[in-house]
Amino acid sequence: MNSGFATFHPFVNLVYFIAVLLFGMWFMHPDFQAIALVSAIVYAIVLRGRAAVKFQLIYMLPLLLVMALINPAFNHAGVTILFYLKNGNPITLESIQYGLASACMFVTVIIWFSCYNAVMTSDKFIYLFGKIIPALSLIFSMVLRFVPRYQNQLKRISFAQRSIGQDMSQGNLLYRAKNGLTILSIMTTWALENAIETADSMKSRGYGLPGRTSYSLYRFDNRDKGCLIIMFILVAVVLSGQVKGENTMRFFPSIKVAEVTPFSILVYIAYSGLCMLPVIHYILEGIKWRSITSRM
Amino acid sequence: MEIYHIQNVSFTFPMQEKKALEGINLTIQGGEFITIGGKSGSGKSTLLRQVKPILSPHGKREGTLTYRGRPIEDVDQRTQASDIGFVLQNPDNGIVTDKVWHELAFGLESLGLDQQTIRLRVAEMASFFGIQTWFHKSVTELSGGQKQLLNLASIMAMHPSVLLLDEPTSQLDPIAAADFIETLRKINQELGTTIILTEHRLEEVLPVSDRFIVMDEGRVIVDGTPREAGEALWCMGHPMFTAMPSSMQIYAGVTKDTPFPVTVKEGRQWLDRYLEDKSNVREEVTLNSQTLNNTNQLPALRFKDVWFKYEKNGVNIIKDLSFEVAEGQLYCLVGGNGTGKTTALSLAGGLYHPYRGKVLIGGKNILSMQAKELFTNNIAYLPQNPQHLFVKKTVEQDLYEILSRSSMSKEEKARKITAMAEFLELEPLFAMHPYDLSGGEQQRAALAKVLLLEPRILLLDEPTKGLDSFFKAKLASYLKQLNANGVTILMVSHDIEFCAKYGDVCALFFNGSITTSGAAKPFFAGNHFYTTAANRMVRHVWREGVTVEDVIALCKNTR
Amino acid sequence: MQEHQIDNRNGWRNKRTLISAILILLVIPATIMFGVFALDDRKYYFISLLIILYTMLPFTLVFERRKPQARELIVIAVLTAIAVAGRAAFFMIPQFKPVVAIVIIAGVSFGPEAGFLVGATTGFVSNFFFGQGPWTPWQMFCFGIIGFLAGILFRRGWLKTSKLALCTFGGLATFFIYGGIINIGSLLMFTPVLSRDALIATYASGFWFDMVHAIATVIFLYFLSRPMIEKLDRIKAKYGLIESK
Repeated sequence: MNSGFATFHPFVNLVYFIAVLLFGMWFMHPDFQAIALVSAIVYAIVLRGRAAVKFQLIYMLPLLLVMALINPAFNHAGVTILFYLKNGNPITLESIQYGLASACMFVTVIIWFSCYNAVMTSDKFIYLFGKIIPALSLIFSMVLRFVPRYQNQLKRISFAQRSIGQDMSQGNLLYRAKNGLTILSIMTTWALENAIETADSMKSRGYGLPGRTSYSLYRFDNRDKGCLIIMFILVAVVLSGQVKGENTMRFFPSIKVAEVTPFSILVYIAYSGLCMLPVIHYILEGIKWRSITSRM
Repeated sequence: MEIYHIQNVSFTFPMQEKKALEGINLTIQGGEFITIGGKSGSGKSTLLRQVKPILSPHGKREGTLTYRGRPIEDVDQRTQASDIGFVLQNPDNGIVTDKVWHELAFGLESLGLDQQTIRLRVAEMASFFGIQTWFHKSVTELSGGQKQLLNLASIMAMHPSVLLLDEPTSQLDPIAAADFIETLRKINQELGTTIILTEHRLEEVLPVSDRFIVMDEGRVIVDGTPREAGEALWCMGHPMFTAMPSSMQIYAGVTKDTPFPVTVKEGRQWLDRYLEDKSNVREEVTLNSQTLNNTNQLPALRFKDVWFKYEKNGVNIIKDLSFEVAEGQLYCLVGGNGTGKTTALSLAGGLYHPYRGKVLIGGKNILSMQAKELFTNNIAYLPQNPQHLFVKKTVEQDLYEILSRSSMSKEEKARKITAMAEFLELEPLFAMHPYDLSGGEQQRAALAKVLLLEPRILLLDEPTKGLDSFFKAKLASYLKQLNANGVTILMVSHDIEFCAKYGDVCALFFNGSITTSGAAKPFFAGNHFYTTAANRMVRHVWREGVTVEDVIALCKNTR
Repeated sequence: MQEHQIDNRNGWRNKRTLISAILILLVIPATIMFGVFALDDRKYYFISLLIILYTMLPFTLVFERRKPQARELIVIAVLTAIAVAGRAAFFMIPQFKPVVAIVIIAGVSFGPEAGFLVGATTGFVSNFFFGQGPWTPWQMFCFGIIGFLAGILFRRGWLKTSKLALCTFGGLATFFIYGGIINIGSLLMFTPVLSRDALIATYASGFWFDMVHAIATVIFLYFLSRPMIEKLDRIKAKYGLIESK
């Protein structure tokens, strides 16, 4: 995804995702959950298209139901008893609602992560952590370089093995498994022996000298600054709502939702604004682009 | 300015008696373009690694080696890293990170340069090497030539004053190799960087070199301009002379004057002068080229209207391909990258199946054959990278491995392996780890492995890649013996000289099909560009002169 | 040589112990307190996540602090990439993965630190291919800790490189450590209330998955351990990976 919110500095992207993920896991208030779920779905549609998100939601539906049911089966707190199970344990309205709420939270988190995966590509992550954990982030980068290379090698090796009649796609399971392991074994040797040259290449270009720096493709410009400030303001409002108890919800022993007050509406707006930030940005860009092209 | 001063340097690997380098004396001036030649194992790479101590293997070095007047041991790591660049043979192994831009910056990051400097240098290098268009790509998406260029660029970004390259083009196809050499020439000419490289393929690199050093058995035997070096080798009657450019070999085969020509152009000019006073030039000379024996016997391998694509909605890789390979022939498929020739080879090996048309082996459709029938005593495929076949810890165990599934008795297996080892001269290597062998030796061990399956048809994918001229000649002699024993060989190659010299039939692959084919020599005589250097040199006089030997014979025949 | 190496590493091992001690004695209790009082004791997942991240911190810090050499990075990167590629290669069989086997081999061949790093990095980087999610830290931790244990046990001489020993350890570690922890993680992910019954139910529902995973580890170790360890030893000897620090 090389457009919209993803073009902001990786740090801005990261702060956004940390904020929405933490808040998503934290707030159990139904209004907040609804805001988060809807925003996550809309953003996912913007990023990945309607079909992909629909598929994911359908795929998650049974999981959702199971999760909603697991909670009342094991959690018997709550005052509104609906009926008793055979073993004498009560099923309560509160625990069913709690199960539904936590299932909804789980779905939200999963969808947020699907957006995260589309925006926070590996090179952004490596860049962000290149300064804090340089050696490990270099390892990440190397692994990302090696994996496709090894996958390609696995293909070639199995091809070569097949061409001398040692085929992984034919024969009984044991025979196939054995050939598969032979291929993995050949690949390991190949990988280790060739990697020594890669180590040479690193040494040859001075890896290990003191004072290594970290190059970045990304610039932190005014646009990023502005976006970050907006995000901090929104986060501050949401947090103050949390401190004031506007975002909380009590499930047990009886359900108690914080009342709607003028301040709570402000908090809702701030939370929606935060969650929808990329989508709002996307829409604004679209309008701007149209007005520019119409003038051309 | 003197860059390197190497005085009486010797080097011994640990636990070895024999010196890998012996009494090397060299002085290298700033801005020189030096090519080092010699057989595999002559000590070229060892020498190259001595002048960048951080990459020197373990072992004992004697003699003095100075860099810019300072003993090389005193050159600190930072200077070594930034001043002395080193490009490895395998472009894939040189690349460390997953993105092109990150790789370009890797060395600069190590040197601890600040953001602004790195930005500038990376931008400069991307522009100089024309990397802008693939700057953001993943390394995986690059071609071999691009990868090697990236290796070079990421080193040049550190502004080295010396560039060392260890057979940098051996893994590239001829076009990418020529481009790479051209880039080196540009670096040398425009930036004044000193270049020292080792190379087997001398045709393109010698014309741009200032100096050619030949090594043999760890010693420098020749050191001079390419012209002088060629002359010296010729006078010594050294086998290394067969690796020299075709024009030089032809020239030396005909007259004994100086100066030796280096390029095709110089060769052509000399030939024109040489032929000026000859009268019977245009007379056709009958060359002892073999005619295709058109027996009515069933072809060993036959493609009949074959179409192939990898995916249902993909593009056709092979389009309406038909050809026949007669028994005992060496059939060469030549052509550029991505034309589908390797795919055709895989189809012949039954590794893929056509969606239209048939591949017939000895008259039988390959689709109807079980893997066992196909790969025992029938077809064997030698992959481009011989390393893909090695499973065991030693060469000997590896050879036994391939027979592990056959029902032969132990004695019979041993007998077969001994015979094979004798044929391919493998016995001295039996106890070694396959990965400790040189490229040519690995090739032989892998060939032995597939030949133990006693195939009637042998499929070879780029068998000469990375081999020196001696190994190539050896490989050719093995292949010819196999042919004589009735084994049919189909090979895919970029190596025009090899195909012209040893192939029976050659076919030009283009756009998924064979464009022209014919007996090797008439085939190349019919091409204008896609032909041997010798042919390009003489084709305005003798179109049929394809190999060096042919042309020498033609020249000698004139009066 | 083995002895010498251990001496060499005592320095950083002590440092790691110190950081670990601070974390265990101060930061982790503080986090739990924070969870109980500030977050109303309902955010198990959040708290457990923090604790998991803390446990990985000492390894990260120590590794970064001692400025590892190119060869060390390469070895960890190669083993990780093999594990990731292996995980991808067996995508069609759920839970049947070679990752734990490779991580154990890494721990045995290159020590507890390398074992941990290969494991944790595999958990992390493989999710660049399969998708990051709330499960990522848990996988990182489980793979990492198994590699670490394998390394420690081998150093202490309690784990041998015989097939039997490795397979037993691998099977048990996969079933009890990986399965044991991952199941807690997934339970916390969707039911923020931890109860004994629910935990037992989760273990029961995950039983076959964990079983397949454990069997896969045993099979992979049975076939791969000997050749892999041999190959790694060869690399160590051929390129002097051990001698220089």
